[in-house]
Formats: sequence, structure tokens, C-alpha cells
Amino acid sequence: MKEFLKGNYKVKTVIKEPAAGEADSTDEFERKALSRLGGSICFVSKKGFLWKGDDGKTDGPRETDR
Amino acid sequence: MDLGKRIASRLEAATFERIAGVGLENAAVNRPRIERSILELGDVVLGDGDSAVVVGAGPSLHRRDSLARLRKSGYTGTVVAVDGALGSCLRAGVVPHLVVSVDPHRERIVRWFGDPAMTAAPADDYFRRQEMDPTLAADEMAANGALIALVDAHGPSMRAAVATSAAPAVVARCEAAGIAMYWWNPMYDDYDKPDSVSRRLHGDNGLPCLNGGGNVGTAAWVITHAVLGKRRIGLVGIDFGYPPGTPYERTQYYPELREMFGDRYAEAFIPVDSPFVGERWFTDPAYYWFRTVFLDMAREADAETVNCTEGGVLHGDSVPLLPLEDFLAKADRRE
Repeated sequence: MKEFLKGNYKVKTVIKEPAAGEADSTDEFERKALSRLGGSICFVSKKGFLWKGDDGKTDGPRETDR
Repeated sequence: MDLGKRIASRLEAATFERIAGVGLENAAVNRPRIERSILELGDVVLGDGDSAVVVGAGPSLHRRDSLARLRKSGYTGTVVAVDGALGSCLRAGVVPHLVVSVDPHRERIVRWFGDPAMTAAPADDYFRRQEMDPTLAADEMAANGALIALVDAHGPSMRAAVATSAAPAVVARCEAAGIAMYWWNPMYDDYDKPDSVSRRLHGDNGLPCLNGGGNVGTAAWVITHAVLGKRRIGLVGIDFGYPPGTPYERTQYYPELREMFGDRYAEAFIPVDSPFVGERWFTDPAYYWFRTVFLDMAREADAETVNCTEGGVLHGDSVPLLPLEDFLAKADRRE
């Protein structure tokens, strides 16, 4: 804002620049608030019903130590 | 745009924020218990023919006595139930072929299977407040004890489609009750993106990723046609809304809406006419999003889906309404 207020006068009002993180923190609050209203599983647009990997098939669960 | 619809339009991203962290933590804990992929269910005969009934836990399930009518019909096709409807199914004498569980909540979800660790009615009023299973609302301790016995008795004759995000307590309960588990990953995000969580998870455990549509009811429907290969699906108890007269404080997201909007919380609810019963139901932003997503997904599915809930807000060109008996009679003729 200050770069637009140049001239041969001085303004009495002190113009406060928004703190760098202020807008971000509002977004963050909104995001967190909305997340409480979400579902129990995601929905991903335009990605079909089932993804079995790039080769179109899965070889079942990978081995793991039990 | 109305407040409720505005919120609903942003819930795709918000849901990732809500469940990805705990879902992935649960996946890591559950990892050693994973033995079978859900794709193996494609080779298992679950019921006769190519039809299925998917059972949700909405209020119409009790209002319309859907399960007693299903049992009385002698239907021999496949029955797939969400975890929240398991108790209602078993009490009605309907033993589902498959139970679906996905919600990562660490304490609540095991209650749908009967929680052996519960020693007193919890402070959390989630079950008392809602109409999903009225039996649990009446006397939580007695209902829990009875449900444990029912699930233990029928566990070995059922199968569970368990998401890797499911709470470890649910997994332990299924194991204890002898329910065979078949695993899948929730699709968290676009697997074609470079930092995709879905791709990473699939790379780790080799399981397919399933697009769940926001809730367990939609996930159960996706499993029914995309994994089990059923081509005609009837829905019961999948309402995505509340009957007229339901107090706002008895709806699922009431505490969150109240906290977010204070006295304006009621503006977030959305009225929707339910033509089958000639009533005006209402829904909240989350359920409205589920409804929108389901109607879109149904257009893409290689299956015919009809809504036999006889209530609720899920209806449109892709999901026509049909009385339950009409669906069952039609299914019988084709089996």
C-alpha cells in the first residue's frame, strides 16, 4: 500500500499493512473448521471407482512381518 | 448460494484434511494384519445372481422396517451392509454377506461391532444423539453387550471389507469375532499427481485404492458393483438426510455446525423434498455433498442402482426411486 501513497504531503493516519501471515491464518482457520464437517473417506473427482496400480492389476497385499 | 450448499461445495478438500492423517496412521498400525486384498472377493460367491441390496444406517431403515421386509421376502441375492447397520441387520435376522468399515475414528466405530472394552456409557453422545441405531441410544451398555454376542455368533459366516484407514480396534474386533477381512485403500487423492498419497500407500501395501464418495454407504455401493460385479443394486437406509421434525441437535454434525456458526447454525441445513413419501426432509452440508457425489458417481457406474429407502434425499435421474418389494420381486425373477 505504501508505494501508492507517495507525494509532497504527509498523511496523519498510519496505514497498517496486514501482517504477512494474517490472510494465511484466516484461510487456515477456515480450512480447519471445514475439515470437521467432512466425510469419513475422500472422494476424488474424475478418477473412476477403483485404481489397481499403473499396470491395471495388483498382485495382492505385499508381504509383511506379522 | 445458500450457506449449506456453499459449505458442501468445499468438502472434497476438507475431507482430506479431516481424515488423511489418522487414516494413514491407522494404515501403518494395521499393516501387519493385512492378508487378503478386497479383489479376492471377486472370486467368492456371495449370494445368488447379479443383484445386491446395500444397507445403510439412515433413519428410514427403521421408519420403513426395511430389514424385516427384506428378510420376509426370502431374497437370496447379495446383502452388503455398512458397519453402522450391522447391529440392525443381525437383530432383524439378516446376516449380511459383507460388512464395510472405513471410518478412521479410534473410539467410536468399534461400537458398531460391539465393543468388548466398554465398561460404562461414554461421555461422547454420538450414539445416543442420533437415529442411526435407536437400540444403542436406549441403554448403551445393555445394547453393547447384546451386540457383542450377536456379532460373535455370526462373525464366522460374514466377511468384512476393511479399509486400511479403519480403526485398529475395529480390526481387532473383527479378528476376535472370526470375521474374515478383505482389505483396500481409500483413494485419498489423484494418484496421477507426483506427491500422491494414494500412490504412495498403494506402493507400500499393494492394495487397490477405492474411490469412496465421502462416506461408508457410498463406499459399500462402489464395492458392490466395482468389486463384486453386481449389476442391479437396491439401496435401503441410505438417506443422506433427516426426516421432518428431527431436532437439529440430533443430527450428525450439529456440534460442529453450532460451534462454527453459533446461533446461525440452522442456516446451514438444506431442505430437500422426498417424493416417495411426500415429505420435506432436510440435510446438512456433509450429507448434501454425499448426495451430490453419489448421483454423479451413479451416472458413471456399470450397474443399475435404485433407491428403495422410501425416504431420504438421494434421488435423481441416475438413482430412481422404487418400493423395496418391487426391486426384490424383479431381482427374484432374474436370479
